[in-house]
Amino acid sequence: MPLRDVFLPRTLDDLWDTLEQRPESMVYAGGTDLFVRLRSGSIAPPSLVCLERLNEIKGVRDEGEFLFIGAATTHGFLLAHPLTVEHFPILAKALAVLASPPVRHMGTIGGNIVNASPAGDTLPPLYVLDAEIEISSRREVRRMPLADFIFGPGEVLLGKGEILTGVRVKKLTNENVHHYEKVGLRKGQACAVASLAALLRLSPSGVVEEARLAWGSVGPTVVTLTEVEHALTGEVLSHDTLKGLIPLVRDNVSPIDDVRASAEYRRIVAGQLLLRLQQYRWGGP
Amino acid sequence: MRHPAGHKDSRTSKRSPDRYDRPLSIGTRVPRIDAYAKVTGREKFAADYYGDDLVWAGVKRAGVPHARIEGIDLKRCREAPGVICALTHEHVAGTNRQGVIRKDQPVLADDKVRHCGDAIALVLAEDKESLERALSMVSMDLEPMPGVFDPEEALEENAPLVHEDHPGGNALLKGELQKGIGQAAAAECEVLLEGCFETSYQEHAYLETECGWAQQDEEGKLAIVCSTQTPFRDRMEVAEALGLDPVSVRIIAPYPGGAFGGKDGVTVQTLLGLAALHSGGRPVKMWWGREESFVAGTKRHPASMRYRLGAKWDGALHFLEAKLFFDTGPYDHLGGVVLTLALEHASGPYRIPNVKLEGYAVYTNNPVGGAFRGFGVPQVTGAVEQMMDMLAHRLSIDPVELRMKNALRRGDRSGVGKTLVSSTGLMECLDVVSKHPFWTDRDEWKSAAGPFKRRGVGMSAVMQASGYGPVVPDYANAKVELTQEGKIRVYCGVVDMGQGNASTNLQIAGSILAQTLEEMELVLPDTDRTLPSGSASASRCSYTFGNALIGAAETLKRRILQRAADLLMAQSADQLALVPGRVRCLGTGRELSLERMARLMDETERVAVHHFRAPVALDKLAVADDLRLHGMPHTLFSYGAHVTRVEVDELTGYVEVKDYLAVSDCGTVINPQIYEQQIHGGVAQGLGYVLMEDFRVTEGAVGTPNFATYLIPTAPDIQDIESIAVEIHEHTGPFGLKGVGEIATNGPLPAVSNAVADACGVRFDRFPLTPERVLMGMRTAEHGKESREYQLQTER
Ligand SMILES: Cc1cc2nc3c(=O)[nH]c(=O)nc-3n(C[C@H](O)[C@H](O)[C@H](O)COP(=O)(O)OP(=O)(O)OC[C@H]3O[C@@H](n4cnc5c(N)ncnc54)[C@H](O)[C@@H]3O)c2cc1C
Repeated sequence: MPLRDVFLPRTLDDLWDTLEQRPESMVYAGGTDLFVRLRSGSIAPPSLVCLERLNEIKGVRDEGEFLFIGAATTHGFLLAHPLTVEHFPILAKALAVLASPPVRHMGTIGGNIVNASPAGDTLPPLYVLDAEIEISSRREVRRMPLADFIFGPGEVLLGKGEILTGVRVKKLTNENVHHYEKVGLRKGQACAVASLAALLRLSPSGVVEEARLAWGSVGPTVVTLTEVEHALTGEVLSHDTLKGLIPLVRDNVSPIDDVRASAEYRRIVAGQLLLRLQQYRWGGP
Repeated sequence: MRHPAGHKDSRTSKRSPDRYDRPLSIGTRVPRIDAYAKVTGREKFAADYYGDDLVWAGVKRAGVPHARIEGIDLKRCREAPGVICALTHEHVAGTNRQGVIRKDQPVLADDKVRHCGDAIALVLAEDKESLERALSMVSMDLEPMPGVFDPEEALEENAPLVHEDHPGGNALLKGELQKGIGQAAAAECEVLLEGCFETSYQEHAYLETECGWAQQDEEGKLAIVCSTQTPFRDRMEVAEALGLDPVSVRIIAPYPGGAFGGKDGVTVQTLLGLAALHSGGRPVKMWWGREESFVAGTKRHPASMRYRLGAKWDGALHFLEAKLFFDTGPYDHLGGVVLTLALEHASGPYRIPNVKLEGYAVYTNNPVGGAFRGFGVPQVTGAVEQMMDMLAHRLSIDPVELRMKNALRRGDRSGVGKTLVSSTGLMECLDVVSKHPFWTDRDEWKSAAGPFKRRGVGMSAVMQASGYGPVVPDYANAKVELTQEGKIRVYCGVVDMGQGNASTNLQIAGSILAQTLEEMELVLPDTDRTLPSGSASASRCSYTFGNALIGAAETLKRRILQRAADLLMAQSADQLALVPGRVRCLGTGRELSLERMARLMDETERVAVHHFRAPVALDKLAVADDLRLHGMPHTLFSYGAHVTRVEVDELTGYVEVKDYLAVSDCGTVINPQIYEQQIHGGVAQGLGYVLMEDFRVTEGAVGTPNFATYLIPTAPDIQDIESIAVEIHEHTGPFGLKGVGEIATNGPLPAVSNAVADACGVRFDRFPLTPERVLMGMRTAEHGKESREYQLQTER
């Protein structure tokens, strides 16, 4: 890799200056995605701007009804944070299986979002949580639903001079099932070949009162299927109910074949992962 | 000649802050001498050699699997900034051929390209970046030729030839063998099963990719520091390929950062040597990147294996037939030897009166097959041990019992008819397994599976030969010195690539000379300082070198005691004893320090050397000369029995290995920690092989070019592995030991496959057992359809 300038702004104002002076540079936070691409030669920016020292976009802020997570917050920090564990167990479950301790120590939630891989582990939970993202430039701050921000693999609505500054998530009140399962080809450092995030409100008798579901790695972006959510709502969380929904899932995901798994396998697994939810009927696994 | 930059002896005194100050002894957990320096980053590996005025050397690779070389244009490359020179085969003064048995691999390709990783041009540049740029400017005129990528197709009449000059065509080696009445015994079997198995490539994936450093001095001596298992063989190979006198080549071998067989033979050495001859005396460094290592390095041979196994109703094995195809890629490397060892182990560790074996090591335009821990044995063990489980199932006999019934004992004849004269502890291993809770409580454990989980328990029996076989001398020359400072210095002739044999050497010499680690020093292999000793391979290192070392250490001990007896006016050397740092007269208590002794001894007396050559099979077997040359038969074997408990997820097909037990007969244990590490490492590599290591090659091109796509197990993927040693003294082994380096790699593929079959009732014939393969297999089975993924059992 050729040597290049790396800027380490400490305030957002410094950052805006740098981005104006070096419009061709690329930003990064943990670099755990970016450096892989740099090394392979698929990108070759003349200079880099690191967001790691921007305290303004790091950490978790309690905003009462919402929680604001700075874009440059590392997965490791988030996983250990009491507010994540208390309010968003589903996110904590995904973080716990994301990469490995050293990569979680460097990688950030902002990087995971902007990288916009269909296999990004924080994405299915953030989709079911209806996360809103915050984008800033020197001139303005924009907000939009995460699902609108990502429009393809690696494709996001980010303009020149803009960065992602954070994610805002509404604290949960009634959901009592927080499920995340990742299917990888090994336990550590595994890229998901399929994943399922499920957020349910279950009545004491096991009837689904509300359901949010999102699949990773089975389409160009995270897949949500309102038909399945609707079909599940009002039903008892039983094997039969779930099994009945498998075809609907199978027919509505659009996975690809790659070196890790075939599209057919992903399609089958995407459906079957639903069956795992039945264990919550009697209080969880 | 002066020492290359920074090459120092490892001195134990700077070894570690917590001193281990007991006299060394056999059977104790002496801390590994290399551990502290390695974990603190102080150990200097070949990859750590730089030095002033360094030149970087790199190779332009073909990128196509089979082509005629019409031209190589280096003009632009040579004019690129920072380029020192660019070389082709025309600059190679020697044979330009490398290899162990058949020397068929060019240093730099001359007439044609035989695989994507072939080296076409060698470029020297001022720095890495200039090198990268210059390499991209090498222009090659390659006329594509039709390639062969499937070993069985390669054997067909009109298949394109990889080596037009090879008399056997694409069959590098064909091996055939019959025992008893061979195939005619099929008709006498009361049950006869068939099975086909295909195993994949396995990449060594060492931390330290192939690398080295070289420099030619004013007198013309060429020193090469490299990550290698074979310094003494490298010296000859480099000299021959480059047209040099071997005496003018020096190979220095620091600890490799992993090797596993992938550095058994020349990797960077000759290229580096050639570069150093053209660098104007400047030091040169070459270090393959990971992707380059994947493309150009050797791999475990993919194998396609067809088996028939027959028995009587009582479970007595009667007949085994195996047909093996090993894809050796474009070069022999060690492909013929690997096939021969596979044939020797193809019948498993069993008494089988009638055997018919046929095997082919086949040239293709795929990546180079080569040595890898187990050396052909993991493939065939994977096959035969699944056949045994299928037979047990068919006969409703407990799998351990079936193996016990047929297990080889000392005095029996192996699958190729070799009478087993060395210690043979398979029964003892099986006995431990049969009483272990993993085995005895298996039904209970299985029935406790959670929702969507299926549990299974599987086992395998393994054997592994050590040494080179009847023809190639398996020798070592040990050298031990009492230094002027009164320390004991051991000159290791065999590389320690991480197995810990350097530490074992100190333990052996130290225990004979009754010294603590503090008094011991180590010199790692160096063709100018240590004595020729064969390769670090074939589970032979501690066996062969250890035997030589005992001789050298005892000679030195005798000399010290005799001289001390004269000085202390003792009647004889028997009245004296060595103690740490000193010699003591037992009667009088008078002592002399070793430092004093060293000064009172002549230089020639302070150095003791000893040669050892491993015993070979004396049997007169009807084995073709070719197979004998390639190593058949061996005479010393280690044994083992493995059990594993697995859980298969019904929704995803993911196989989780919950528990693993390896019981091994590798003779007496010198250091329980090192022994355990060999078992653990072997099992871990075997688990990667059976579960996830799926090196893909399409039309000769690597489809899994890096660690993002080629997966090896991470720490959470490997459960605790229990290792139990059945210590049976091997009378020819140093202190009774046998090789432990490879044996454990053979167990996981069949044990896990058998456990998976036990869990889900499906027998797989292709590996690794990825979640997809397992899930699809289970679905097919449920739908009752026949498929090539399962249902291998056919009854006669
Ligand atoms: C060995 C390994 C294993 C991995 N395993 C997993 C895994 O299991 N699951 C998983 O989801 N991911 C995994 N990853 C991918 C990666 O670690 C995550 O996606 C991580 O969250 C990326 O964060 P980062 O800060 O390192 O991103 P960076 O590499 O710094 O950036 C990624 C991209 O986002 C952009 N970017 C980053 N921050 C911002 C911002 N604030 N505003 C605008 N643009 C920004 C960068 O320009 C770049 O394009 C793995 C990576 C490695 C190397």
